[in-house]
Amino acid sequence: MSTATETRVTASRAKSLRAARRPGARRAARREAVFGYLMIGLAVAFVSVFTLIPILVSLGLSFFSWDVITPPQFVGFKNFTRLFSDGQVLSSFGVTIVLAIGIVVLQIALGLLLAVLVNNRKHKWTKALFRTTFYLPLLASTAAVSIFMGYLFDAKFGLINYYLNEIGLPSVPWLVNPTTAQITMVLVVVWQQVGFTFVLFVASLTSVPTDVLEAASIDGAGPWRTLFRIKVPLISPTILFATVVAMINAMQLFDQPFIMTKGGPGTATTTATISMYQTGFQNLQFGYASAIAILLLVIILIVTGVQFLAARKLVFYQ
Amino acid sequence: MTTLEVESTLREAGRRRRPIVKVGSVVGMIVLIIGVIFAFGPLLWTLSTSLRTPAEAFTNPPQWIPTDWDFGNYVAVFNEIPIGQFFLNSVIVTVLIVAGQTVTCTLSGYAFAMVSFPAKNTIFGVFLATMMVPLQTIIIPVFIIVRMFGLSDSLSALIIPALGSAFGTFLMRQYFMQMPRELGEAARIDGATQFGVFWHVYARMASPAIATLAILNFSGFWAEFYRPLIFLNSQSNFTLPLGLVGLQGNLGTGSISVVLAGVILAMIPSVLLFIFAQRYFIEGVTAGSFR
Amino acid sequence: MTGSFGPTMDRRTLLKLGGTGLALTGLASLAACSSSGGGGGTNASATLKMLYFGDQKAATTIQKALQPQIKKIDKNAGLEITAINGTDWNDFIAKVLTQIAAGSAPDLVSVATEGLQQMAAKQMIMPLDSYVTKDMSSLKSYFDDVHPALVESMMYQGHLYELTDSFNAGSMFYSTDLYSQAGLTAPSDKWTMDDFHNNAEKLATLGSKTNAFDWVVRLWGSWTSFLYANDGNLLTEGKYSGGDWLWNKAYADNPQAKGRRGGWKWGDPTANSKAAIEALEYVIELQRANLSPSPDVGGGGTLQGLFASGRIGMTIGGGFWAGGLHNAGMKDGSFDVQKFPIWKSDKSLFGAGGYGIFNTSKNKDLAWEVVKMLVKPETFDLVYPGNVTTPARKSLMTADRYKTTGPDHWSVFWDQLDGSVPISAPPYYQALATSLNQRTTQAISSGNAKAALDGMQSDLEKAQANS
Repeated sequence: MSTATETRVTASRAKSLRAARRPGARRAARREAVFGYLMIGLAVAFVSVFTLIPILVSLGLSFFSWDVITPPQFVGFKNFTRLFSDGQVLSSFGVTIVLAIGIVVLQIALGLLLAVLVNNRKHKWTKALFRTTFYLPLLASTAAVSIFMGYLFDAKFGLINYYLNEIGLPSVPWLVNPTTAQITMVLVVVWQQVGFTFVLFVASLTSVPTDVLEAASIDGAGPWRTLFRIKVPLISPTILFATVVAMINAMQLFDQPFIMTKGGPGTATTTATISMYQTGFQNLQFGYASAIAILLLVIILIVTGVQFLAARKLVFYQ
Repeated sequence: MTTLEVESTLREAGRRRRPIVKVGSVVGMIVLIIGVIFAFGPLLWTLSTSLRTPAEAFTNPPQWIPTDWDFGNYVAVFNEIPIGQFFLNSVIVTVLIVAGQTVTCTLSGYAFAMVSFPAKNTIFGVFLATMMVPLQTIIIPVFIIVRMFGLSDSLSALIIPALGSAFGTFLMRQYFMQMPRELGEAARIDGATQFGVFWHVYARMASPAIATLAILNFSGFWAEFYRPLIFLNSQSNFTLPLGLVGLQGNLGTGSISVVLAGVILAMIPSVLLFIFAQRYFIEGVTAGSFR
Repeated sequence: MTGSFGPTMDRRTLLKLGGTGLALTGLASLAACSSSGGGGGTNASATLKMLYFGDQKAATTIQKALQPQIKKIDKNAGLEITAINGTDWNDFIAKVLTQIAAGSAPDLVSVATEGLQQMAAKQMIMPLDSYVTKDMSSLKSYFDDVHPALVESMMYQGHLYELTDSFNAGSMFYSTDLYSQAGLTAPSDKWTMDDFHNNAEKLATLGSKTNAFDWVVRLWGSWTSFLYANDGNLLTEGKYSGGDWLWNKAYADNPQAKGRRGGWKWGDPTANSKAAIEALEYVIELQRANLSPSPDVGGGGTLQGLFASGRIGMTIGGGFWAGGLHNAGMKDGSFDVQKFPIWKSDKSLFGAGGYGIFNTSKNKDLAWEVVKMLVKPETFDLVYPGNVTTPARKSLMTADRYKTTGPDHWSVFWDQLDGSVPISAPPYYQALATSLNQRTTQAISSGNAKAALDGMQSDLEKAQANS
């Protein structure tokens, strides 16, 4: 945090500490706490019943062996020992991480770039036009996108290779070669998900107080300076949010590789969730699948934790 | 400085900067146009293919603007599936979820951002963690719970479990955290209640955030497939994506053009909503965000 | 499944729990499930629930059409049909399993060859032997009309698990337009792999805008067709004993029923046998020689679209392509079909579909009546309008049926069943299919068939051991 913020934070903490020492302060704090709990009450209730409890049940399943038809059997840590010696499952985690990094980096960078450019447009109607266009890809379902992207990226008959050939470049074996298949997957996902970060950043940039921007331009700051020194820090909470959510979603990537390549060629696009799905719903080993889910959860937790740690230095709250 | 001096300094600075700014603006426009081509291109292909027969789907170069507009595929969509019913179901489910989440996420997001209470960070951490487990893992227990509440095979099965959202709470929290605390403190000193501070001060500043959440939620839940697949049985309850799958035919024997026509039809409401929301929420707020 | 789900495990109990205690109790509830429909009160009237893999419009039509028949059997009964179609077999299985887990398993289900042995081995569906024997006199006309190969594919360990109503054999579809452009005559029903290869080479001379041959990576109708023609298979072919109760009564005089026993017993994997390596190397060779592009994975929708737009000379398809190509806009007469060419043998593959009764159903007798209704001749076109699959009944295979959609040589679909073998779908089918997809795409991109098939062999051995 910058010194200015630190001073402000310290000052307000000092204020609240002084306030706490005053009579009736504890009652006020309790009233605030009650208010807080009431405000989060509804959200907590719904998330607990319909998400948290099912998660706990599923995670508990990882200590059992269950094929849905017969009752579960307790197997202790066997699923986990099996997991750590299962080359196929572990490599699916590798695939997941590689794809996730590609997706998130591209998604955030492009989303930010486009949001800044669109926000700088002078005319309202161009702003609206661009905003709508970049949001459109997000409106098609991932299944639909997988279907028509499959057509476009077809190595022999697809449109993309056709245009590449027209400008003299050789055809790319998009979904046939393991490496290009991974690249294609990243492109297909980013194509849609840029709309997500874009919308977030546009809303955020719009909320940047104009008097701060005016002060900056009076002080003589150019567009790049304004961008990096003022706008980005002011929307850094949103950037953090976008990055965290994008990473969580990217690490759970399922639809596009499942529909376009079924995880192939070979296992090049078999993500952890695909591996989990195959183990559970296809091989009928739900206990083992839950163990895979736990490992995924732990990894996502670590990655998210790292992001929040980095955020302490980089994110600026008012 | 006098007003005159200020003005001339600004003008001079502007003159110095203008050529650079102009170039930057042109480059920016070019980048945006390239972006539009990439964003819109595949969708345009989908649209134009939906207006032709599948046999023509692979002719290269494609006719970006088809010469004979064959709306037969769109007619076929209406003939093959009760798209009106599916549309209505999708509207009910999506609107109710969006409305419900607006309430729960705004309230809880504000509290996590601005209110202090014990175990706040722990609770929020658990909230976040629930986002990290994929749907396929928990679908069976969720279905069992839905069934326990007697909700299976009804639109409520889709709506009620989705009324709370860790993602939505997280989003609102971040937006609230971007707002200055002084306003709230000032209002408290003036005698406003906790809820008053929320309602009168911060809630209206959150319009872009609320609009964003609503937009993202709308497109997300509108296109949702997996939960409807598992929870719904009777066709009269199907939502649009689930119903549209019927166009693919058994073993993929349906016409791809009809499928794509269905895809386009399904996208229209979200587009309309976005255009509407843009004008009234995002833009409308720019003027009054921080005055 | 034992115990009852409803009253003992209600929502209050589930919500009261926290921590690990919760997880374990939650599991106990999952374990103690039955199909008593615990969520709501069940009364005496029976509503049969059927989950089937097909067209939803058809589902509603059949549901309406069958209500009066059902009422005739039992005044209080009803039938509710949910269709899952277009999507993968995976989505279908996911839904079935979720319903079983929640204790609301359907009464009837349609399962194709792919999933039959898995469901039978897990005792999800029940043997129909006693019902078939009881009604043999009325079913005789059904069995007379259905090829014994199809019936045999619905058997497992000596029992019959489903009555079949449809199938698809892997035949060779070809574009008559491209054939005439390349100066080729229609292949005879005794054509060989050499003929196929020669035709492919001639088709390749038509230029780069078209491909002589194309295919999709999947178990049915991919390089597996070549494998079968090469007298090989992914798993060792064997037969379960038993089944005489059926063959003697229903197919007493049918020469095609000779040697049929209690269903296909899929033995040790032979993925890296000489025949398999040869077959896979052949398709890789086709790609190297530019006679075929690299294949897609999955549904085959792209393949159909490409064929329909005249970009492909030959490919493997079944009866379902008749309707499919028609829907894709391909004109009748611009394509035709022939049996799969002969290599070391004339063995070819097929997959079949049918209806089975869930073991946990409380209305088995009623369900049986519905099954019989579903395989009646007049039901077929209600369930599958437009030739989107091949009827199992010979009486339905008529020139009239294929008049609008084509192909001209539709009789090939049925003729190919003699000497054919179903796709190798053991109880661990899903693991096999996943391995097939992975290893085939691996072989295609690396060019090394043997290494990929060695890998597949060990995948299958592992899967077999785990099942």
